[in-house]
Amino acid sequence: MCGIIGYIGDLGADRTGSDGEAHAADGGGGPLSVGEVIHEGLRNLEYRGYDSAGVALVGKSSGLTVAKRSGEVNGLSVPKVPDATHGVGHTRWSTHGPPTDANAHPHTDCVGDVAVVHNGIVENYEALKAELSDHEFTSDTDTEVIPHLLEEALAADPDADLLDAVQRVEGRLEGSYAICAVREGDDRIVVARRGSPLVLGRSEDATFVASDVTAFLEHTRDVTYLEDGDVASLEAGTVSVFHEGESVERGVETVTWEADAAEKGGYDHYMRKEIHEQPEALRQTLAGRLDVEGGDVDLDISFPPGFLADVEEIQIVACGTSNYAGRYAAQLFEELAGVRTTVETASEYAFGAGRSPDRTLVVAVTQSGETADTLGAIRRANAAGARTFAVTNTLGSTVTREVDGTAFIRAGPEIGVAATKTFASQVATLVMLSISVGRDRGALAAADARSVLEDLRGLPGAVQQVLDEEVQVREAAREYQDSEAFFFVGRALGVPVALEGALKLKEISYDHAEGFAAGELKHGPLALVTSNTPVLAVLTDGARATETMNNVTEAQTRGAPALGCVSTSEEFGTLDVSFEVPKVGIVEPLVANVYLQLFAYHVANEKGRSIDKPRNLAKSVTVE
Amino acid sequence: MSDNPVTAVILAAGEGRRLEPLTNRRPKPMVPVANRPLLEHVVEAVAAAGIDRIALVVGYRQERIRNHFGDGDDWDVTIEYVEQSTQLGTGHAVLQAEPIVDGPFVVLNGDRIVDADVIAATRERVLDGTYPTMAVTTAERPREYGVVSLDGDSVVAIEEKPEGPVETNRINAGIYGFSPAVFDAIRQTHAPGELAITATLNDLAAADDQGVTAIPYDGRWLDVSNLWDLLTVNAALIGNEMGAEPDSPDLGNSVAVADDVAVAGNVRVASNVTIGGSTAIGSNATIEANAVVENAVIFPDAVIGAGAVVRDAVVAGNARIGPNATVAGEPATVVVGDAVHHSVELGGVVGDNAVIGGGATVTGGAVVGDDVRADAGVVIDGRVESGAIVRRG
Repeated sequence: MCGIIGYIGDLGADRTGSDGEAHAADGGGGPLSVGEVIHEGLRNLEYRGYDSAGVALVGKSSGLTVAKRSGEVNGLSVPKVPDATHGVGHTRWSTHGPPTDANAHPHTDCVGDVAVVHNGIVENYEALKAELSDHEFTSDTDTEVIPHLLEEALAADPDADLLDAVQRVEGRLEGSYAICAVREGDDRIVVARRGSPLVLGRSEDATFVASDVTAFLEHTRDVTYLEDGDVASLEAGTVSVFHEGESVERGVETVTWEADAAEKGGYDHYMRKEIHEQPEALRQTLAGRLDVEGGDVDLDISFPPGFLADVEEIQIVACGTSNYAGRYAAQLFEELAGVRTTVETASEYAFGAGRSPDRTLVVAVTQSGETADTLGAIRRANAAGARTFAVTNTLGSTVTREVDGTAFIRAGPEIGVAATKTFASQVATLVMLSISVGRDRGALAAADARSVLEDLRGLPGAVQQVLDEEVQVREAAREYQDSEAFFFVGRALGVPVALEGALKLKEISYDHAEGFAAGELKHGPLALVTSNTPVLAVLTDGARATETMNNVTEAQTRGAPALGCVSTSEEFGTLDVSFEVPKVGIVEPLVANVYLQLFAYHVANEKGRSIDKPRNLAKSVTVE
Repeated sequence: MSDNPVTAVILAAGEGRRLEPLTNRRPKPMVPVANRPLLEHVVEAVAAAGIDRIALVVGYRQERIRNHFGDGDDWDVTIEYVEQSTQLGTGHAVLQAEPIVDGPFVVLNGDRIVDADVIAATRERVLDGTYPTMAVTTAERPREYGVVSLDGDSVVAIEEKPEGPVETNRINAGIYGFSPAVFDAIRQTHAPGELAITATLNDLAAADDQGVTAIPYDGRWLDVSNLWDLLTVNAALIGNEMGAEPDSPDLGNSVAVADDVAVAGNVRVASNVTIGGSTAIGSNATIEANAVVENAVIFPDAVIGAGAVVRDAVVAGNARIGPNATVAGEPATVVVGDAVHHSVELGGVVGDNAVIGGGATVTGGAVVGDDVRADAGVVIDGRVESGAIVRRG
């Protein structure tokens, strides 16, 4: 679970007078060294993992220099290698072996000629390691077998070069991986991809490779996405791609979104910036897709004729926040589209018995499009013969290549580990999808669709209205921040929002927080309620507010403070704090969620937490 | 940056209470004209003047500004933020930029639109080592501004809103050039109440050794002091910026759109709508069937109901004008604070998130606060406080 980057080329020539930012760090206007480019790329990738970092640089005459350590990227001191021509770097989030200096990547072979960085899991590493018994291993990682296998391959055939070796070794690895390898005396980077993201950046004088385009977007926007099983050899300005030993062409695409959107601007934290970006993100999500007069949406998707009419079940597969977005949508698929809908935890998903694959639609919801658990679920659904669909934020991501159709949420890049704007855009996209399916099936009248579409159009303005009340939320956060635990409750569409509210708070504040269906409170959790455990309730349209308030009162009579997100039209005088939610019908619980995001942010901020990079968490979880 | 050390310090911390209710939720520099905040027009002029480093002094509702401008990449400038947590005057605001300014710099107001030339001229002058300096323009009613008396090219004095007769129509254009030495001068200025930068300039103009040079300016100088100025400034900018056109708005059948109209992306305009001249319609706004909108500023996310008439009016963010409601009127009397303004061309202002019921009438010059709920059929005149509920009967 990691971020990897490789760079080969010369950025010195074209840098005078252009963007001066990157070299502000070293105080000079000179050309960027290989080490600097890689270090900068690692900083951009740090959201993918940040417990260890390392680089390997290859110099014309100085050979291979490796530096790595546990700790954040900024703590890594990249060695000065004046004759370096290329190199690779890695930022790690531990899976096999604790975050130690030895376990940090790059890993090398016995003699220190070959260095490898890797993202993913080599599932058969124990067997491979046993086979390499005469090699000296210095770490606990699965990755380390790769450089030793390369060493073997190179030793076995004196004519073999690094490209040959990677091609031979690649077939022996089981699991998912993206790897970048360099070798002393070889002026190339050789990369391979299977199941983990890897994208190439192309410019005239330089070639990049990384887990994510944000790593090198300041240098080039022209990218090539590799496919599973591809092995590529990178030289400055040129790339050769091979698939099963044959040379293949992979097209060049241009990334259009702005790199600056991935920077923090004037905010202290990406999370707060992204919370505040929600009105604009939602406008982008909805732009050009709503036909209010016709009572329909245009998501630019297509299904085989008759498929939607006959569909018997929609299964939503997702993890974490995306799963909660799925739970929100599931209720609307049933209500608006008249299709039985279930939400599955992706890691637990199996295409269960008693279903007809050709009458089942499996919808993956994943921000990154690289979530390993979700990809696994989609592969199981594909294997079972079901039709698959993805709702994602990331163009060109793995999931888009594994499913039959995709709707993009268009939220723009999200850097904070805690998902905020992408949740809002996921739900908005899924609401549109439910309308699309409902209309296609004839289950939803145009007039009913129209009223939901009007609510959707009101969503960006309603969210802005909530953001304007941030001071009120901050005060509430200050008042209750030292509570023992926080309970979030709601009914109907308020349940996923309660779950999401609790998840946000625990992710970034490290406080104990739980979300429940409000009716469940009395079936157990009420035993935990004291005067020191505030209850936060979703009391809006679509969330059966009056019934929920009864449960809140049960908690209040046990002394718990009660905070509620309340529809403009309602009033619950007994609440200790009442946050007003504008009238937007069935998307009101989604608007209420913005209050819960701000609450989590301010509790965590008051406590001085590492909001954008909570301990033990990474942005996109690319391991199962 | 190394070839251009001049920083622009833009003052954007103020609240702009005279523009209430529009400034209840956003600072004045973020009030949109021609679909872009006043401050964006200023930032663009600064960038066009060849300055690529901007220090934004922010305070009131600063999230709106930070959110919109980020680090400035969209305008090819580097934006840094400094906070003025209490608004203690323009001199105090300039002082906040001291930690991030290390060479000659230009100061501008974030809510006043000027041409790039005058900014470039100020930049040239400070690059030549001539500072302090200030731009001087002319106004029809100089007494509403800081009246500047000159001796040749030198400023003799600036008198803020003088009460007696004035001998000149020259006024302070609000664009200054300084070196970091001005920070000490600001600290040494003794002024009652707020610490205005003009007080420091007066001190510097009076000092024997220094003097303040004037840069004459007669270009665009658009000031939004009052709510109705928004309509004139909006009209002036739309007239100038034709060609910056809609990201394919969703237009219904038989829609009539005048030439001088600015429509943002993702706007929905239903059938038989008439959009008259000098109108700006913000992102994600909706104009329902048969509505008439003319000489108006419609903020993002607003909804103009079917058959409604909105003329000479401002409809703020996410406000909803009900079907067949009327926001239009004859020249009227508008009360702002203690001042009464007569014969103002302002059909009405509807604040953010306000809901005007179907068939309601907002009479000429009425100002409806944000979050107001007005029932169907009511007649609203004068000023309705924010959050009020207007019932029939």
